[in-house]
Amino acid sequence: MRRITLILREEVDPYLPIEAEVICPAILSKRIDVSVYVGNERKQLTDVFHVRVDGEAAGPAATEIILVGDCHQVKRVGEYMTDGRIIIEGDIGMHCGDFMNGGTIEILGSAGDWLGREMLGGKILCHGDAGNYCGSGYRGGRKGVRGGEILVEGNVGDFCAECLFGGFVHVKGNAGIHAGCNMKGGKLLIEGDCLMPCGDMFDGEATVFGHVTDFLPTFKEIGKVTEDGHALVSFRGDVANRNAKGTLRVGSFERI
Amino acid sequence: MDYIIKNACVVDPVNKISGEKMDLFISNGRITDEEPKNAEVIDAGGCLTLPGGIDSHTHICGTKVNFGRYMSPEDMRAGRTPHRNGMRAVSGYSIPTTYGNSYRYALMGYTTLTEGAMAPLEARHTHEEFRHTPLQDGLILTLFDGDWGLMRAIAAGDIKRAAALIAWRLDAVKGYGVKLTNPLGAELWSWGKNVDCIRKPIPDFDVSPAEYIKGVIEANEMLGLPHSVHIHCNNLGKPGNYTCTIGTMGLVPDLNKKRQTAYFTHVQFHSYGGSGWNDFCSKAEPVANFVNMRPQLTIDMGQVMFGRTTTMTADGPMEFNLFRLHQDKWSNHDVEMETASGVIPVIYRRKNLVNSIMWSIGLELALLTKNPWQCLLTTDNPNGAPFVKYPEIIGLLMSKEYRDKEFALIHPKTKSRVVLPAIERELTFDEIAVMTRAGQARALGLLDFGKGHLGPGAEADIAIYPIKPDKLDPSKQYAEIIRGFAQTKYTMKLGVMISKDDVILADKQNRTFWCSPKVPAKYDMTKDPELIHTFERYYTIRMENYAVDEDYYLNKSMKIETETTL
Repeated sequence: MRRITLILREEVDPYLPIEAEVICPAILSKRIDVSVYVGNERKQLTDVFHVRVDGEAAGPAATEIILVGDCHQVKRVGEYMTDGRIIIEGDIGMHCGDFMNGGTIEILGSAGDWLGREMLGGKILCHGDAGNYCGSGYRGGRKGVRGGEILVEGNVGDFCAECLFGGFVHVKGNAGIHAGCNMKGGKLLIEGDCLMPCGDMFDGEATVFGHVTDFLPTFKEIGKVTEDGHALVSFRGDVANRNAKGTLRVGSFERI
Repeated sequence: MDYIIKNACVVDPVNKISGEKMDLFISNGRITDEEPKNAEVIDAGGCLTLPGGIDSHTHICGTKVNFGRYMSPEDMRAGRTPHRNGMRAVSGYSIPTTYGNSYRYALMGYTTLTEGAMAPLEARHTHEEFRHTPLQDGLILTLFDGDWGLMRAIAAGDIKRAAALIAWRLDAVKGYGVKLTNPLGAELWSWGKNVDCIRKPIPDFDVSPAEYIKGVIEANEMLGLPHSVHIHCNNLGKPGNYTCTIGTMGLVPDLNKKRQTAYFTHVQFHSYGGSGWNDFCSKAEPVANFVNMRPQLTIDMGQVMFGRTTTMTADGPMEFNLFRLHQDKWSNHDVEMETASGVIPVIYRRKNLVNSIMWSIGLELALLTKNPWQCLLTTDNPNGAPFVKYPEIIGLLMSKEYRDKEFALIHPKTKSRVVLPAIERELTFDEIAVMTRAGQARALGLLDFGKGHLGPGAEADIAIYPIKPDKLDPSKQYAEIIRGFAQTKYTMKLGVMISKDDVILADKQNRTFWCSPKVPAKYDMTKDPELIHTFERYYTIRMENYAVDEDYYLNKSMKIETETTL
């Protein structure tokens, strides 16, 4: 088991973005003399972080990376991650867990935008809030998240789980506008409230335990169900699409 | 800089040179007979040397291309190349940035590009993009498919007035030729309808597409324009549309000795048989036979290649039908009283029967048209495929073995719907040179301006490919052909070396060719009360603001004044 602890150096300008796609068990389990971009300058990882390595490496699966400090500007952590574990003891920047298909990322603070964008597998746990486009596809893409699991214990921003194609996105707080829009599969669960969800839905299952504001008129009511003690109204849609097979269940709603 | 290219294996169909080892002399941007002094010597090493490539129908500049760019961020993420050696960073695959287009065309040896469709009202944008396509000369075909003034003039039988209107508009928007996209379809599309074929008159104007096409062809020849009318037939992409295509081709008289009288573009999309998608089949054979019998026609392939691309055309109703088929993102646009347009991204798949048949039809057209001067190589970039697929198409045309190999990979039912497996023909380097440069130069009327050939006095647009024709059997070594045509050793434009291997060496070499027919004062439309009234009553822009400013918008302006018979 190898544990790599990265502590952000104090002299790093907090306003410069750090492109840190190298912070990933597959790379750091082999070597730590890698470089990152800070703003437009290429720097050694060891010049940006205090790096402490404990234990011997036995491949990415037996590697744990711990990020300490306010990493809100550190981007693309865990990109293309296949295995192992990343623990972030504070906030993290955009694009955390891009395209990951295995392993676990645990964020004790809040995450930036694009958390787990187009992920294929693995697990992301965010104890704080997440930004916009949490668990979504990238702009223009037809398939967003295709597998894996994202759990956000706080609130999420807009366009959560856009183009969801597989996997499970679970939000314990509230979501912003357009959660689950363009969904084509997978499961979305929002325990709080949200605004205008699931527009242009093709397939998949979305559930909102709380209240929905601006509910779209293109959903057809099909019945009532009870899940986990919540009385829910079930809808089929988005009927603006030909043969739409999506299911949307909401606690209460108010039409647009 | 003067150059001497030694030991070049020249293929120049216009001057009847076929694979001859010779030296080329270049002085002041032109090819000369005399050996220049103090010239840089380039050893071509027996490699294939052709005139610079000319694309006679592509969509690389203009509002619809830009709309394609911003509705497809996923396409922009593909093909990202960082800046290096003075080259700019570029991105995009089927609809790259203007520099991306220019660099990739230059590396393939292309020095002249024809934008296939420009809405006159959006000419400024098109010229701005051509200004930033630095390594190719630009020609812009202007859309006249739903022009109210023209429709009224032709309905009244006044062809001279129609010619005067075309002359005025070409001069105003700095266009090169006349393009008809789905003639009269755009007008009906503003009512949510489309034309059936060519015979039924449209309401309000009481003119049928057939009368309109004939009128515009006649007007085009009256103006003495270098290029003929460029026609995209009605009913694009509909099963059974080949009858309409042949009907339209039958309307064309033989009026010009130097070139064709009508250019039919992306005929692959217009050679479909069957009554629906279930019995969809190839009708390339009757179409090609029809072309073989009529020297006044030139067509281009509009070949489809498998993969991801974006379709964009001024044919609004067709794009809407495509959207209903694909259920994906789409855009449609109405350009006041002139034309319409639409854009949607598509993916052509090998396992799709319809796509497989489309792929076969394009190749059949090229192989069944006997005279290569009458069938030019295009993909209607990016509608059939991005232009970077041209080398693969050349490989397919030159090798029966490669065709058979590819045919084995496509949908198995294709066999019963097409004639491609029965065609043995393999094109030669001469024929490929005709289909990619000489034929295009003739069709566009550019031979007189020194393009498309390497005779003395011609512009020094030269592409040297790393292919040794005497040591290569294209029918077996198609992989080398594809690799060779994908990247030149040297590309030269007007005596300036623009690329060497994979590095671009020049910037700002582009010129814009445009036509200004000399019309008598009687037909000067700037003072025509009806046209002025049309602008004041219906247009969102004033007539004084309509014309494109030559000095501001064109990088280097090449004005072609033509003699008219008005």
